[in-house]
Amino acid sequence: MIRNARPTLQRRGLGQALVLGLALSLLFGGWVWARAPITVRVLMPAPFADATAGLVNAFNREHRDLRIAVTRGPFETESVSDLAVSSLLLGNSPYDLLLMDVTWTAKYAAAGWLLPLDAWLGPEPLESLAPGARVGNRIDGQLWRLPLVADMGLLYWRTDLMQAPPHTPADLVSMAQRLQADGKVRWGYVWQGRQYEGLSCVFLEMVEGFGGHWSSTEGNGMGLDQPPAIAAAAWLQNLVAKGVTPAAVGNFAEPQALQSFEAGEAAFMRNWPYAWQELQGPGSAVAGKVGVTTMVAQPGAPHAATQGSWGLSVLHGSRHPAAAVTVLKALTDEASQRQLVREWGYTPTLEALFEDPELVAERPLLPQLRTALDAAVLRPISPGYAQLSDILQRQLSGVIAGGEPPHTAMDQAARASRLLLEANGQGEPA
Amino acid sequence: MSALLLMAPALLLLLAVFVWPLLDYAWLSLQAQSVFTGLQPEPVGLANWQRLLADGRFWQDAGQTLRFAVVSVGLELVLGLGFALLLHQRWRGRGVVRTLTLLPWALPTTVMALGWRWIFNDPNGPINALLQSLGLASVPFLASPQLAWQTTVLADVWKTTPFVALLLLAGLQMIPADLYEAFALEGGSPWQSLWRVTLPLLRPYIFIVLLFRLAQALGVFDLVVVLTGGGPASSTESLAVYAYLNAMRFLDFGYSATVMLGMFVLLLISSAGLLLLQRRVQVRA
Amino acid sequence: MTTPTTISTTTAAAPASLRLENLGRRIGDRAILDGVNLAVAPGECLALLGPSGCGKSTVLRLIAGLDAPDAGRILLDGDDITERPPARRQVAMVFQSYALYPHLSVARNLSLGMEVRGVPRGERDREVATVLQLLQLAEMGQRRPAELSGGQRQRVALARALLRRPRVFLLDEPMSNLDAQLREELRPQLRAILCGGSAPVVYVTHDQQEAMGIADRIAVLQDGRVQQCGTPQELYQAPANLIVAGFIGRPQINLLPQPDGTVLGLRPEHLVAVTEGGLPVRVLSREWHGASQQLLVASPQGELRWTCAGNLSIGAELRLGWAREHEHRFVQTTGQRC
Repeated sequence: MIRNARPTLQRRGLGQALVLGLALSLLFGGWVWARAPITVRVLMPAPFADATAGLVNAFNREHRDLRIAVTRGPFETESVSDLAVSSLLLGNSPYDLLLMDVTWTAKYAAAGWLLPLDAWLGPEPLESLAPGARVGNRIDGQLWRLPLVADMGLLYWRTDLMQAPPHTPADLVSMAQRLQADGKVRWGYVWQGRQYEGLSCVFLEMVEGFGGHWSSTEGNGMGLDQPPAIAAAAWLQNLVAKGVTPAAVGNFAEPQALQSFEAGEAAFMRNWPYAWQELQGPGSAVAGKVGVTTMVAQPGAPHAATQGSWGLSVLHGSRHPAAAVTVLKALTDEASQRQLVREWGYTPTLEALFEDPELVAERPLLPQLRTALDAAVLRPISPGYAQLSDILQRQLSGVIAGGEPPHTAMDQAARASRLLLEANGQGEPA
Repeated sequence: MSALLLMAPALLLLLAVFVWPLLDYAWLSLQAQSVFTGLQPEPVGLANWQRLLADGRFWQDAGQTLRFAVVSVGLELVLGLGFALLLHQRWRGRGVVRTLTLLPWALPTTVMALGWRWIFNDPNGPINALLQSLGLASVPFLASPQLAWQTTVLADVWKTTPFVALLLLAGLQMIPADLYEAFALEGGSPWQSLWRVTLPLLRPYIFIVLLFRLAQALGVFDLVVVLTGGGPASSTESLAVYAYLNAMRFLDFGYSATVMLGMFVLLLISSAGLLLLQRRVQVRA
Repeated sequence: MTTPTTISTTTAAAPASLRLENLGRRIGDRAILDGVNLAVAPGECLALLGPSGCGKSTVLRLIAGLDAPDAGRILLDGDDITERPPARRQVAMVFQSYALYPHLSVARNLSLGMEVRGVPRGERDREVATVLQLLQLAEMGQRRPAELSGGQRQRVALARALLRRPRVFLLDEPMSNLDAQLREELRPQLRAILCGGSAPVVYVTHDQQEAMGIADRIAVLQDGRVQQCGTPQELYQAPANLIVAGFIGRPQINLLPQPDGTVLGLRPEHLVAVTEGGLPVRVLSREWHGASQQLLVASPQGELRWTCAGNLSIGAELRLGWAREHEHRFVQTTGQRC
């Protein structure tokens, strides 16, 4: 019995020590916690997480009470969206800030996932932006995001093969065919024809260039079954039929188009500004032989560039909205944008930076980018945009890869889009 | 009573993982819950079901999914049986080949699909590089609706045939060798032996394989998402992909649940048909 | 080397329809069979007797063509069938497991072979009905093998063998899955059904009692060789070597090493109590078997098994003797009979 009693005593002693230790550590922990800086968590697609790493580190060094923690999301845009949506659907998002594509804004806002920013930012927070970058941030009178970098569709052309780029769709085809006939290039024009968001971007530029529109809230409604939209779809289909564009375009996203153009295989390419940097690289066959302009258009129609900016939004569930706004402002301010332009070749959204002589000297493309940004057109702003775009992609893909007649395909796209909007009380304005 | 008590944990688990989600989906399919309703459920009766019946895309995807399942599982069964018979024979190096055969199955689907996407890439994939080096025109495997569909089937067959072969090999190993010997002594040829002994005795395994694989193939998702993204012209889109698009991209949960239930009904009908077929085959024998 | 002599003397008279000449089979470095010679006459039943692993099943599989020999020939009615595939040998085999097709009814089990051989349907049905009748399985035609008792399954396997109308019957331990009582009951039936026809019968067993009960002749196989082949009486009365002596006769023969380099073999049933001479023994243990008792006794030459008609208790002391003609003598070094 005596032998048994001792361990019991020891155990009690151990228990007391544990309780004491726990209490002490709670106290200490509480103290540490109380003094700990507020952490603002940001989810970004991987390329942006890499590009902003320097800015984030500098910010964290300068601020004692505020820390930025970046979650490096997937590479693919849609996968980032899936990740964000999954976490938001669970109720409490682990993130305070989200770096989003412009087309997600309406959907996220309608879902109630975003915090309106008007109360936090000054009276005119968009004033300093280039005009092309001001649109798409405010929906239904409320501000949901601030753009960090601008992105717009560009027409790349070969300065070694022609004096000046084409201006009309017909010009582009005839120039391309001549160069192909002369054996200068294998393909005339490469672009994004895969059934995905990129195809909607390509189409938007063409439908505007043929004098039409996709879906407008400014009076004339659904434009997909109008003659310009059908002409744009037919023009894209003809590019493949005439051999100006390879049949493989039906599976082309940005990298495939870039790969072909970079190898010197094609006279023209439709792509985003990021391609410029790549084309000047050591693996490129066309370094120094590339020019950039806006997309071709019929005489009288606008040379359109699909706007695809990335911006920061504060998530509704954020526990530190004020801190989140501080971080948002810091990451989008002039110094940050300047650094992103200089170090990573991103396109800024602040008007002043396009005219900054020092920056223009370093990035001679900036004036052209400014022109393109001024020509920027937005994809339809609707909570149902993802679905509208999906409807369009499906029909366009049928036209490009499946040989569907453009007018029936575009009729179906228009009908399905109307049905969607009407069914959800978003019918076209009369 | 005590039997019920003993079964209770299993029944509860079944209820939790199977019946409850199903009921939840059924309820959701009667609601409009989408980005347009601010993600709040609003009862709409059978509107989602009416939309489903009239939704050409749902029926196109259902047809494609069914066709994909039947064709790929059919091919997998024939090839898998061939491999299983081959691997069941004794020959030098069989062990190594057995392991190698399993490799495609061990590979994660996404990795495998990325591989195929590269192989069939036009113009820079190895197959097209080979065609071009032979002076032939490159083939837009993933840019043509028919070819893309066939490529998807091919990838699935490549990946899953080992699984079928493995299950059938296990079945073959359960057949006593002396049955074949007895049949041979009675004058039967190897070909007759396949039809009179092997296949009838393998039947339970074949049905298990079919059941497993059909259920899997009818739910095909990651292969499609990575290999083709459902395109071109939605020719490779499966019902699972469509349900996913509705939920995660369109934030239309009411309709997504309806599509899921539609898919579930399709699966139920297929499995019931298969079981009925099995019973008939058994009675005939 | 008495073995070959034994074969030649006992088989010369009968016109053998199955003849195995110098059969050899190796697996890797191990010789499973090492020059097996055997001949079986039409209607004769030859038992292949030996411990497990002695190669007796291999002999059967070689005859059936399920395995190929590395040396030697197999002759059937003078034809060399060594290279012929099993399907064309026209031999029937009853497997130890019976190898019935589990997915088919008894009747279909029986008719499948005829079906693949192209026998017309009417004839098949007649034949199956006849053989079911013959083997008292008439009621069982529609059952699956799993629904039959062990004895019934064995009869179905026999029926299938009969329907093959074989040139040789091969049976591989056909009784080993049955209980002891059933085995004794079935032995005469099996003999009546199989033996005495025109086909030779080769019957593999490890049970000497079964071999003696069913076979016209027994070939004792060990270490891949035929140790002795002869009638059960010959094997009992004049075992060619120590192996055969130890294998034939139950209880086992007593083997007593002698100072002159021989081994004296004395069967337990040949020992008798004597008043003088013989060996002094003491009873160590006993098993009472009714008609006799089985004793283990200690003698100056070691322990002895003794089958005794009287009733002795443990510890009893007496003297044991035997008749001269019951002595078996073997050379200690070679094991051969002197």
